[in-house]
Amino acid sequence: MSIDGSLVRRAIGDSIPLFIPAIPFALVIGLAIIDAGIDPFVGWSSSWLIFGGAAQLTLITLLGSGAAVIAAITAALVVNARHIMYSAALAPVFQRQRRWVRWLGGYLLLDQVFALAVLRSDDDPAAFRTYYLASGATFWVSWQLTTALGLLVGPVVPEEWGLVFAAPILFLGLVVIGLDRYPKTVAALVGAGVTYLAAGLPSRGGLLVGAFAGIAAGTLAERLRR
Amino acid sequence: MTVFLAVLVVGVGTYLSRAGFILALANRPIPEPVLVALQFVAPAVLAALVVALLIDEDGGVAIGAPEAAAFLVAGVVARLTKNHILTLLAGMGVFWIARALV
Repeated sequence: MSIDGSLVRRAIGDSIPLFIPAIPFALVIGLAIIDAGIDPFVGWSSSWLIFGGAAQLTLITLLGSGAAVIAAITAALVVNARHIMYSAALAPVFQRQRRWVRWLGGYLLLDQVFALAVLRSDDDPAAFRTYYLASGATFWVSWQLTTALGLLVGPVVPEEWGLVFAAPILFLGLVVIGLDRYPKTVAALVGAGVTYLAAGLPSRGGLLVGAFAGIAAGTLAERLRR
Repeated sequence: MTVFLAVLVVGVGTYLSRAGFILALANRPIPEPVLVALQFVAPAVLAALVVALLIDEDGGVAIGAPEAAAFLVAGVVARLTKNHILTLLAGMGVFWIARALV
């Protein structure tokens, strides 16, 4: 199997600009692991076992804030449920790939990798494979290195800086940047509002109640609009 | 150990959500209502998470003026620039300045 070097360079070149916004996430994850009192290596293992910033940060911050383990796991899984859409969207493209590419491709399917891959879904199978795997590998290596860097930087940063507050700020940014349609705004507002009202629930169960209320409200808003 | 198991469970779940259709689905379509609902997972969960991270040990949501100001500015910057780094810098900058003033 020969690999087209220019295509690999193209994939890396497309991936790096998309990785830059993930750098603060990676660093904050490192800081959050330290802040949560989680063993650094165990915390860092989430980078290759989960390989998804929002879910990693959700799990780590919730565990660190004393949530029930099962609530933290559920919340992290719900955060990552959006990948089902990506998987479904790329499934036809992957039908033309070998089995090992499908297994590995699923592991590498980040938001950014998806965004790049859909643009290449009409490429011939060999070109798609080269581009997809080179892009996925770029994100994978960058992610492992930057989250490890966050762990190294974490203990050095004084607690008075209040850098843990960076986590809710980053999540707020993710919400606002993703609001491209009015029903999504409804989902976000109801999700936040119901979580606030349910704040007294034990084991931070309010998060899940709020999340499901938000999903239901968004779906309803979409229905009413049609 | 518990933490590692939690990471492992989320890792397996994440892999299944990413690889599930690629591995299993031939050309079976996802029901339309499920696709509609899936779009709202990210905004609903992430917004709920912002609030959940502000809940203190007693179950109350206690944020001071610095946090509120930081959220407001970060929200506006995110809306206008769609840039995570600028959002983070603006939010943390306002947080630090407001905290020094209060």
